[in-house]
Amino acid sequence: MRRLTTLFQRVAWRGLSRLDAAFNRLYGWRLNPLYRSGALVVALFVVLLVTGVYLLFFYRLGAPYQSVAALTAEPWLGRWIRGLHRYASDAAVIAVLVHALRMFAQGRSWGPRTLAWVTGLILVFVTLICGWTGLVMVWDGPAQVLAQEGARLFDVLPVFAEPISRAFVGERPIPSAFFFLNLFAHIALPIGMGLLVWLHVSRVARPGLLPPRRLMWGAVGLLTLLAVLWPAPLGPEANLFQLPGPAPYDLFYTFWLPLSQALPAPAVWAIGAVISAALLLVPWLASPPLALRPVPSTVDESLCTGCEQCYLDCPYEAIAMIARPGGDEGTRSARIAHVNPALCVSCGICAGSCAPMGVGPPGRTGRDQLSAVRAFVAATRPGARSVVVIACDRGAGGVARGLPISGVHVWPVTCAGNLHTSVIELLVRAGAGGVVVATCPPRDCWNREGPTWLEQRLYHEREAELQERVDRRRIRVVHAARGNRSVGVEAIAELQAAIAELERARAEDGFDVGAACEVEEVRP
Amino acid sequence: MKVLGVAFALGATAALGLLSGVPYRAESGEHAIIRLAWRARGERVHRCRRPTDAELAKLPQHMRPQEICERGISPYRLRVTLDHRQVVDELVRAGGAQGDRPLFVFHDLPVPPGEHRVAITFERAESEEPDTDHEDDTRETPQRLTLDETVSLAPAAIVLVTYDHDRQRLVLLAGPQGDR
Repeated sequence: MRRLTTLFQRVAWRGLSRLDAAFNRLYGWRLNPLYRSGALVVALFVVLLVTGVYLLFFYRLGAPYQSVAALTAEPWLGRWIRGLHRYASDAAVIAVLVHALRMFAQGRSWGPRTLAWVTGLILVFVTLICGWTGLVMVWDGPAQVLAQEGARLFDVLPVFAEPISRAFVGERPIPSAFFFLNLFAHIALPIGMGLLVWLHVSRVARPGLLPPRRLMWGAVGLLTLLAVLWPAPLGPEANLFQLPGPAPYDLFYTFWLPLSQALPAPAVWAIGAVISAALLLVPWLASPPLALRPVPSTVDESLCTGCEQCYLDCPYEAIAMIARPGGDEGTRSARIAHVNPALCVSCGICAGSCAPMGVGPPGRTGRDQLSAVRAFVAATRPGARSVVVIACDRGAGGVARGLPISGVHVWPVTCAGNLHTSVIELLVRAGAGGVVVATCPPRDCWNREGPTWLEQRLYHEREAELQERVDRRRIRVVHAARGNRSVGVEAIAELQAAIAELERARAEDGFDVGAACEVEEVRP
Repeated sequence: MKVLGVAFALGATAALGLLSGVPYRAESGEHAIIRLAWRARGERVHRCRRPTDAELAKLPQHMRPQEICERGISPYRLRVTLDHRQVVDELVRAGGAQGDRPLFVFHDLPVPPGEHRVAITFERAESEEPDTDHEDDTRETPQRLTLDETVSLAPAAIVLVTYDHDRQRLVLLAGPQGDR
């Protein structure tokens, strides 16, 4: 089962990488909607809320179809607001699926992220239920089919004292209570979703709940345009004495209907239970074997200066500042960083944020990175005209793999965001002509904020910054998805041309970046 | 690229609109339906007996009852013949964990459009316990209900056979307008 999950993960990742690259070419990574699918769902949720409140004023429980038909016929507001409500809910399903697929494909569904995965699944389920109740509210032909099918499915459960199906046989008019309950569910469920969204993001710091404005307004604008030009469909009124004829069905919320209608109700429940169980088990199925799991970060208390930068930078709120054990007499600070292993996903962002290199996952701290890059320099001996590409081994790794450019050395890292700036300094001072850091697009960092913090450390003096003495003209940061190799190639070519214009790089002798950095950042 | 991006966005939005209203027919529409759907309140039975010595021996002294009573609703047998061919013959039992909820009948009989003769018998099943007491309940469904009618059905039409509690008989409904 675990192997099958891994296979699915790889296939999903390949497909998604290609899509990402294609969308990056079309819109650039800043406006790539695939990177902001989760935030787009929240934005669409807000659109649904606003349009839903408007529609609520016109919906009549006693004449549901007539009130919706009147709204649809109203050419100025009602027609397109109903359309926007409908299309925003459809777009939300697509965004939810893309978001879930990305988290699954990138292996961001297990360990401390289990809570987010499980609450996300519940949110998907609640979204589908909300869509169902919304479609039934209209009380057209498809609404009748959905209501009757729902009743058929629920009647096999030993929950209700009387079969629900009886309400839809035509023996008496559909009671207003049914439409009231439906409306209540349609309003109450989204309120519950708000709580679930809070839980969903509760383990991340600085959750990006809304997409960039241009992307958000672009999406809303397109949906509004669609709503104006192509009003939301409305089938003929439900008639319990007539088999429903052909009608427009919302594929996003009724995709299950043909299969469900063809199967006995217990079989439908069984299939639903199997799919739900498989999805709920993803955190366990997708987690690597214990021996291969990345180890959480640790803090070297003797080096910690209590500067709080790792605590501020951690994207998962896994680091807290605690009183130094044994008191602070004769030490650097009264407080030290403490990593909660239950919350740490071993992203290593803290390694990049710690100037004295005292925190990080074992083997990936700043000191470990310096040791590794020294060995790399000794092995490759980058020359004055050569470029070292430091590439994130995940998304941007594909950019660097097999680069067909002479004079380019590639040094892969697990995440460009946990790169310590001293590594770049060492490369430049060791005589490399230039350094290109190829990171994933900031909106697609597997560790959320890696490229953002890196860029700030390089160019905006964020703590653990690249030292003044390092020549920035020899450094480039490029954001590229796996399939956007040309972006990396262009950046390298541009840097090669730039360093050809600069004075020849010279290797310095007898410098020690690690010690220099450590001493400079000590706070008495 | 910008033009391509805008074109793709517009195309994707149009696709969303198309998928939001996919033409689909949930039922084939080439047939009609005779729907049997009613709720009946059967005979309420109350059976009591003295517990056996073996049953009493299993219970602590202070929990031994004088008699063991079972309550419930007696079942009905539903028989339906359609164009002189039996299509339903089943025992309808009361719902609920205790078997004390009303009886419910729900059957969809798909038929080709046209005239059909439908004969329905819904009668109380013979009591298996000769010493059954029953409580008087004026709302009780009669011991035997029948319906024998010829119905004419248009394509995709649904005719409902249900129980009229006021008239205490099975009736045919072909629409909100009333009986046929």
